[in-house]
Amino acid sequence: MVKAKRKPLEELKAVTQPYQRILNVGCGGCVSVCLAGGQKEVLVLNNELNLAFKNENQPNRVDAYTVERQCNARHLRELERIVKDHDCMLSMACGAGAQLLAETFPDTPVLPAVNTESIGIDREVGIYEEKCRACGECVLGYTGGVCPVTRCAKGLFNGPCGGVQDGKCEISMDIPCAWYDIHGRLKNQNRLDNIKQLQMVMEWKNQTQRTTIQEAYAQRYASSK
Amino acid sequence: MSEPTATEPVNTGQIKQLLDQHKTKMKMALRVCAHCSLCAQSCFLFNTREQDPIYMPSHKFINSIGRLYKKKGNVDRQALEEISEIAWKRCVLCTRCYCPLGIDIPEMITLARTICRSQNVVNDFSAE
Ligand code: SF4
Ligand code: SF4
Ligand code: SF4
Repeated sequence: MVKAKRKPLEELKAVTQPYQRILNVGCGGCVSVCLAGGQKEVLVLNNELNLAFKNENQPNRVDAYTVERQCNARHLRELERIVKDHDCMLSMACGAGAQLLAETFPDTPVLPAVNTESIGIDREVGIYEEKCRACGECVLGYTGGVCPVTRCAKGLFNGPCGGVQDGKCEISMDIPCAWYDIHGRLKNQNRLDNIKQLQMVMEWKNQTQRTTIQEAYAQRYASSK
Repeated sequence: MSEPTATEPVNTGQIKQLLDQHKTKMKMALRVCAHCSLCAQSCFLFNTREQDPIYMPSHKFINSIGRLYKKKGNVDRQALEEISEIAWKRCVLCTRCYCPLGIDIPEMITLARTICRSQNVVNDFSAE
C-alpha cells in the first residue's frame, strides 16, 4: 500500500496560519494502515495544532473528519455539507487522495498534511519498506522477485555493475546490492539463465500521467485516455 | 465539529441524526433485501473465508447499519465495537459486491463506519 509520513507541526502551522476555519480530512485507507493519516492521527494533529494556536492566544480552529478513502469520489460526498463551513482543508491522505479532494472542492484550498513516500510493505507496526516505484513495466518475473528499480541505486535492468563489493552497493556498505540479491535468489531457484538474458531499457512510462483501464472495461471507456 | 475520545459516553443523539440523514436509503435497503444471497458470490472475502455466512455482504450490512437502524441509534460502546468488527474486519469496501435489487451494500457499510467514527470507534491499525 501507499506509505506516508506526517509533515512536521511547524510546517503545518505555518501553512494553516492564514485560515480561520480549517477542516482536517483523514483517510481510512492506506494512511490509516501506516499510522500517518487515519482518524487517530487526525485527532492527534488537531490537538497539536489547536494547542499551538492557543499558546499564541489564538482560538481553536481545526475540525476533524475522516472519510473511508479520499481516492474515491463516492466517499467524498459526505464532506459536501461540512466543507462549506471551512476556508481551507488539510488532507492526511496520500498525494492521490489530496488531489481528488482538491478536484472535488475546487473553491477550497487543500493543503497536504503528509508526505507520500512510497508503495511499500508493513515490516512491523510503524516500520514500512519501499518495494515498488510503479514503473509500469514490472520486471520481477526475471529478477527473482527483487525490484531493481526500487532497490538498485542506479535502477539497472542488467546487473550487477562493477561497484558491488561483498554483496553491498558501492554507494554505502550498509546498502545491500539489489543485483547480488537477485543473483542469489535466481541461483537458489535454478533460474540463473534469467540473469543472462539482456533486458531492454525501460520506456519510463511514469514520466507522463498514466490512466489504468482494465481490459474488460476497454470498450466502455473507449473515448478515455 | 470535534470528535469525542474513546472514554466519552456514546452520543446517541448524534447517531440518530446521522441515521436520519440517510434514512430513506437505509430503510429501502433493509426492506428490499430478499436474502437471495446473490451478493455473496461477488464478495471475494466470502469466497476466501470458506463461504462463511458471516462474510455475506447482506449479513454484514444487516448486522451493522441494520442493527443501528433497528435500535434507532440507542446503542452502547460495546455494540459499536461489535459493529465496527463487521464494518472493518469483514469488509474492505472494495465495492465489488453486486445486488440484483440495486442495494448499494458498500454504501451501507460505509455508513456503519461513519457512525462508528462519529463516536471514535475505529479499527486499531497499531494493534500488534
Ligand atoms: S487516498 Fe491514498 S492513502 Fe487513502 S486509500 Fe486512497 S491511495 Fe490509500
Ligand atoms: S519493476 Fe519494481 S518498480 Fe516496476 S512495477 Fe515491478 S516492483 Fe514496481
Ligand atoms: S465491499 Fe465489502 S461486502 Fe462488498 S464485495 Fe467488497 S468486501 Fe465484500
